[in-house]
Amino acid sequence: MLYRSSIGAAALASSLGLTFAGALAFDESKYPDWKGAWRRVAVPGVVGQPSYDPTKRGGQAQEAPLTPEYQAIFEANLKDQAAGGQGTDPTYTCLSPGMPRVMTTFAPFEILVTPQMTNFLIQHIHDSRRIFTDGRDWPKKITPTFVGYSIGRWIDTDGDGRYDVLEIETRGLKGPRSYDPAGLPFHSDNQSIFKERVYSDKVDPNILYDEITTFDHALTRPWTVTKKYSRVPIRQPEWVEEVCAEGNGDIEIGKEGYFLSGDGHLMPTKKDQAPPDLRHFKQDRK
Amino acid sequence: MQYRGSTGTIVFVAAMLCIPTATQAFDDAIYPALTGQWTRVIVPGAASQPPFDPTKPPGGGQQAPLTPEYQAKFESIIADRAANGLSDVVSTTCLAPGMPMMMQAYEPMQITVLPETTYILVDHIHESHRRIFTDGRQWPNTVQPTFTGYSIGKWIDEDGDGRYDVLEVETRHFKGPRFFDNSGIPLHEDGESVIKERIYLDKVDHNLLHDEITVTDHALMRPWTVMKNYSRTLDPLADWPEYICSEQIPFVRIGNETYKVSRDGYLMPTRTRQQPPDLRYFNQQKK
Repeated sequence: MLYRSSIGAAALASSLGLTFAGALAFDESKYPDWKGAWRRVAVPGVVGQPSYDPTKRGGQAQEAPLTPEYQAIFEANLKDQAAGGQGTDPTYTCLSPGMPRVMTTFAPFEILVTPQMTNFLIQHIHDSRRIFTDGRDWPKKITPTFVGYSIGRWIDTDGDGRYDVLEIETRGLKGPRSYDPAGLPFHSDNQSIFKERVYSDKVDPNILYDEITTFDHALTRPWTVTKKYSRVPIRQPEWVEEVCAEGNGDIEIGKEGYFLSGDGHLMPTKKDQAPPDLRHFKQDRK
Repeated sequence: MQYRGSTGTIVFVAAMLCIPTATQAFDDAIYPALTGQWTRVIVPGAASQPPFDPTKPPGGGQQAPLTPEYQAKFESIIADRAANGLSDVVSTTCLAPGMPMMMQAYEPMQITVLPETTYILVDHIHESHRRIFTDGRQWPNTVQPTFTGYSIGKWIDEDGDGRYDVLEVETRHFKGPRFFDNSGIPLHEDGESVIKERIYLDKVDHNLLHDEITVTDHALMRPWTVMKNYSRTLDPLADWPEYICSEQIPFVRIGNETYKVSRDGYLMPTRTRQQPPDLRYFNQQKK
């Protein structure tokens, strides 16, 4: 699972020596043109909530190579979801979906390419990513985040003088995270490593692929899926602002999830679910 | 409040005829170097939450030129807070701070300049993305209101040295509720604010950035101008914190009431004599 950026040490030293006023010159023609709005391509016949492997339906049909321990956790999650609970899908309280789920891209997204960094701006819950391409090596200490710490490297695979693949490695994750709304779980140690290859279709530059390989201790082997995106054919796309807390009808008190009714009252999500314990209000009234 | 881009119509028509793959050549040497990480400059002696005008104390000390109606609203917010209420505290609802509050840069700020758009990213409460369109477009006929608004910018070469040095921005089309700062100074609920900015590097210190912000709003008796200053983090490997609001705050909103969730997972009142939530749907289930 070890990764080293090929231009690591030299470029890092160079970047540390630069003043910002003399930032790297940006020759845009060396990079692929990924401007505009991108949206995920739905696979015909695959219905329901967007799944992690977009070629298969969600839930058990994903055939995730889970260890027996995590397969059991996943199945318990499915039972809880069938009963109205959230199972191991943590995003209902507006937690970030994190990697790799953010790459399902529930909303149109934008890619900002500059020499030092590539940003994926994905306006959904809290899904955006920074990919450092300034030649840095892994820091000694990473503060864990849901989207992780990503280092990328541009590759010119066909030697035509223009980069065509962005290779990314992501570490430093935190949880809870799941692959998809069906609650496919990650190991609770959060030691996942993701390796991606992002590239345009060789024939249609308005198609983009992200080949994602996940290494995680909840898996019996690395799991690779390919996400496909198409460019929205509008020069000035409208960018939606998603604010998860706005209109979110889910609420969590303690470890229990509840609904908020349209008239602002607390509701159970499961049959026979107990209401929240109001002991602190009783104490107040003494 | 009217604004027109200097190269408006011609560039707009040209842009409409292009598909996204037909990019403009980008000569980044003609733009100011705004890369890196920016953090707000704290005025010496300033305490508490960062106010809208960083040179003055928060709350009433801001001397916001509010209309009598909005001054009364602001005073009721202050009174509610004095009673331990949480009315109109953005960080308890996890709603986006929006403009102009997000330019306080409570967390580090990233600015990315590309020819068609300048991006300002601040991850605080909400993962706020400002897109400032500099492609010469005119105001669209219809715009979906947002907390950050719709921004059109124009690069200016003020000293004629062949390099842009000021980004002039105008932002409209808001939704709410929005506040100038966390002390609760309100903007008008009609969402018709117009915010004009001049963003530029300090002429002497290129690691110092200025944002002169003028807010025109129906809650104000006159436009209100403040100057925000940001300093560039000199460590090119600086950490970018991830701010997940729902993870940070112990509050839940049920109906029109805000409650606290204790560390051990129990619902608690946020003010004296606050009623617990109505559990009618649970009672019905038990019948």
